[in-house]
Amino acid sequence: MTLEQLTSYVAAQSSASAEGWYYLMTALMIAIHVGFLLYEVGASRMQNAVASGVKNLLAFAFMIPTFWLFGWYIYLAFPHGFVPMDMEGYGVPWNVSMGPMLSDQLTGVFWAAFTLFACTTASIFSGAVIERIRISSFVFLAVLLGSVCWNLGASWGWHYDGWLVTQFGFHDVAAAGVVHMIAGWFAFGVILNLGPRVGRYNSDGTMNELEGHDLRFSFIGLMMIIMGFFGFLGACLIWPGLGGLGMQEVTTWTQIYGAPATLSSFVYNTLMGMAGGMIGAFWMSKGNPFWMMSGALAGIFACASGLDVYYPGLAFVLGFVGGVIIIPANNLLHKIFKIDDPVGAIAVHGVGGTWGVLAMGIFASGVPGASSAIPDASLWGQIVGGLTMFAVGFVPGYGVSFVMKMMGWLRVPDHIQIAGLDKSELNLKATNY
Amino acid sequence: MNSWPGLKNSWEGVDAYFTSANSEGTLIFWTLVCVAILCFVTWSAARHESETGKKN
Repeated sequence: MTLEQLTSYVAAQSSASAEGWYYLMTALMIAIHVGFLLYEVGASRMQNAVASGVKNLLAFAFMIPTFWLFGWYIYLAFPHGFVPMDMEGYGVPWNVSMGPMLSDQLTGVFWAAFTLFACTTASIFSGAVIERIRISSFVFLAVLLGSVCWNLGASWGWHYDGWLVTQFGFHDVAAAGVVHMIAGWFAFGVILNLGPRVGRYNSDGTMNELEGHDLRFSFIGLMMIIMGFFGFLGACLIWPGLGGLGMQEVTTWTQIYGAPATLSSFVYNTLMGMAGGMIGAFWMSKGNPFWMMSGALAGIFACASGLDVYYPGLAFVLGFVGGVIIIPANNLLHKIFKIDDPVGAIAVHGVGGTWGVLAMGIFASGVPGASSAIPDASLWGQIVGGLTMFAVGFVPGYGVSFVMKMMGWLRVPDHIQIAGLDKSELNLKATNY
Repeated sequence: MNSWPGLKNSWEGVDAYFTSANSEGTLIFWTLVCVAILCFVTWSAARHESETGKKN
């Protein structure tokens, strides 16, 4: 074999391996969606179980074409703010880049991975609004979140050229802010307008528990989500040789900002954070399995911003704190705002994600950027990034759902809720026993 | 080995690149915190079980 042949062979293997990696991570991320579906079906009462499942399936189905139509373009075009960059057509659906090409094997799998990230944001939102949101209005809001809002936040703070990254050194490698904060606070904005389920609150303001019909679904669902997150996190890394901005000699994986990273750092800290979160929630809830599983997720999000640089022992402690704080945070949000978040999505994703973003600034300030164009990570940068992610989620969630509420296009009428969505809207029932 | 959190940060010559990798004392501290959490939660769970056992 000549040197030329060997070079060509290595390049082909590298390209195909990268393509295969993101293809497999995309497949693994579908487990997140399966998990959210099972989780929400289990958390719904029997009379609404099918409607909750249909809602999840539709979020998945609508996210894919809308992300192809405009979601991917928004991510690529807006790193500098609200004015799009001129990309000479790249990323728009009628450009050749948005179809299979022999000269570009990677755009398709990158698009697919980002589409599944978008599906995750929609699924997070989905759980907070079960049993009383109209399916059509849910689909509209899910597309707004997953194919517009999230992409804008990601373009600003999860892109090597995003203004939050280049101006403030915002560091959020596994999307504690970019995905979880935006989705959690978007859901908060919507449910302020959506209102609680019929029967959730009494006239004197006291709250009733409306228990889901089968906790076993929720158990399996949450474990599926955790499994799927390994796909999510794997797809957050850039294949060796593709990244390493300004660091030509880099031969390792890089994180999304171009600095060196390893799968080992991700798996060390994901597992340690998850375990810490589960143990923290176990202690805080005195053994409530629903919160233990949610605590596991919160533990992962607590470590997500600095997943590439944390010491595993520190990740365990951060996860433990994440698992502990989500329970009083959930109680406080319900007490103050009289909201109804059946799965605790705001506490787990919104509060857990916020803790993750701030923890990076508190415990890992000083981590250098990949090049001189990216400042070191700092607490100030994390605060600015966190506030931005909150605004990108909450403002459109609240504003658009407020307009929809005024139009009478948001909430299922109370008499339909009482009769059950499955029977009234779908003429179906979840089981025959 | 890295130096963050610290004054001079760089990727030059980095091997162990996690937080406080250059401070064994800090790593021992976080290790002890982990052990303390595990022991405390186990003790707390045992106490809760004993209390509920007495009530029922």
